[in-house]
Amino acid sequence: MDPVAGIGLRSPHLAEIAREKPATGFLEIHAENYLAGSPARQTIEHLRRDYEFSVHAVGLSLGSAEGLDEKHLDRVAGLIERLEPQLVSDHLSWSVAGGRYFNDLLPLPYTEESLAVVVRNVQRLQERLGRRVSIENPSCYLAFEHSILSEPEFLAEVARRSGCGLLLDANNIFVTAHNLRLDPADWLAPLPADAITEYHLAGHAVNYADGERVLIDDHGSHVSDAVLDLFGEIVRRYGKRPTLVEWDTDIPALDVLLDEARRAERVLMAGRADARAA
Amino acid sequence: MLALPDLQKAFAGYLSGGDGVDLARIVRGDSISAAARLRIHRHHVQQSLATALAATFPTVHTLVGEAFFGAMAGSFVVKDLPTQPVLAEYGAAFPDFVDGYAPARDLPYLPDMARLDWALNVAFHSPDGPRLAAADLDSIAPDRLLGLALDLTPGSALVPSAFPIDRIWQASQPGANGSQVDLAAAGASLLVGRRSDDAAFVALDAAEAAFVTAILGRATLEAAAQAAFAVEPAFDLSTSFGRLLALQAFAALR
Repeated sequence: MDPVAGIGLRSPHLAEIAREKPATGFLEIHAENYLAGSPARQTIEHLRRDYEFSVHAVGLSLGSAEGLDEKHLDRVAGLIERLEPQLVSDHLSWSVAGGRYFNDLLPLPYTEESLAVVVRNVQRLQERLGRRVSIENPSCYLAFEHSILSEPEFLAEVARRSGCGLLLDANNIFVTAHNLRLDPADWLAPLPADAITEYHLAGHAVNYADGERVLIDDHGSHVSDAVLDLFGEIVRRYGKRPTLVEWDTDIPALDVLLDEARRAERVLMAGRADARAA
Repeated sequence: MLALPDLQKAFAGYLSGGDGVDLARIVRGDSISAAARLRIHRHHVQQSLATALAATFPTVHTLVGEAFFGAMAGSFVVKDLPTQPVLAEYGAAFPDFVDGYAPARDLPYLPDMARLDWALNVAFHSPDGPRLAAADLDSIAPDRLLGLALDLTPGSALVPSAFPIDRIWQASQPGANGSQVDLAAAGASLLVGRRSDDAAFVALDAAEAAFVTAILGRATLEAAAQAAFAVEPAFDLSTSFGRLLALQAFAALR
């Protein structure tokens, strides 16, 4: 896919997009919202003729020690066969345990044991889909005492062992770095440029825990200037990639979202076309 | 330290209402304690699933308001977490939960509104497919037709209620005129089904409801008509069947 900016397709905008077909780089959908045979599913199948697509799953639970839910995997595979998207992704996290789904991107300890689990699950996913997928860095609110790798070291190793791509979410890097008291520049350093396939951008909220500021990845506002600066740094370091703007709570008018994607695209275009890791 | 399967089991226990003491021991705490960091996840799980339920049960949400709905959904979520990641398929047990939810006792129609919301949700997420038209039956002799069974469109359901749930539903729609619904008015039986770009319901009279119930139970047209006659001797099969055909309620002859 060309390194352009696109938008996360959300149901309040679906009818307007189908009617107006506004210009944008690509549309990204959450796989889990389009697995049933709803009118929305028919609409996106029609939209596929006019737009490049990216399918972003949120429920595969690639970090589950119990392995992937094959039934869910079959449904996601069916959607991907139908849409033939340019990119397929999910997160470095888990959301399923003991047959219950928690609808959260839950954190993993970054250990050899977790690495083996994630690599096995990513390999199973890639084998089932017959294609490469990308793994996104989550927003973190806690870290485990027994982690022995940093998150980017862990991601780099998953990519090396499984051959998967990496989806860098600049807002998540910013949120994680703040919440876990890390330096975003240090966070970026260990990543393999060749593996990076896509960038994500979104807004975050400020909350408080024990009287301290905590950043919450709520996708409910404009991309902050600080995150956009970090995004510029990422583009300078790793080069241009397809870039997505997501907005999931307090969803604004479609024009606002499209403007936000154009704002991201200006930063993207200022970056080097084929930058390599320093 | 916990092995990953044990860690995930402990985390799942915490998110299902456990105290999380075992988990807090292995989470790094600093100026923000491990317990406070864990609470961010528990809050997100409850909040996001309550939001998903509000989207699936919009009429219930409108009727009781955000605060009441949030509390009710929060109690349900802890007891009955999703078993798979498609949130539109989460909440099948919510109407029965509402039925037993003591703070909602003053709203006796609320469980049936939840059943209607759920039926509309199921119909909306069912695949669109072929529909039977009157012309498809032209070549079938009437006496043969009576011996056949029919399929309603996928996702169709009958929602019976002792309350006027169709009028309560209409009064709670955005832009409704604000007129009062007489709760003592007769109950309603609603046939919910998928339309080409939506899900919708139609009100059935008691005989039609008996007819549709029999059809859903895979009865032949003749047996379904007998069920309707048992309720209302004046049941007019050709009128009611014609009306359901015109509504495109049937998918196919079986």
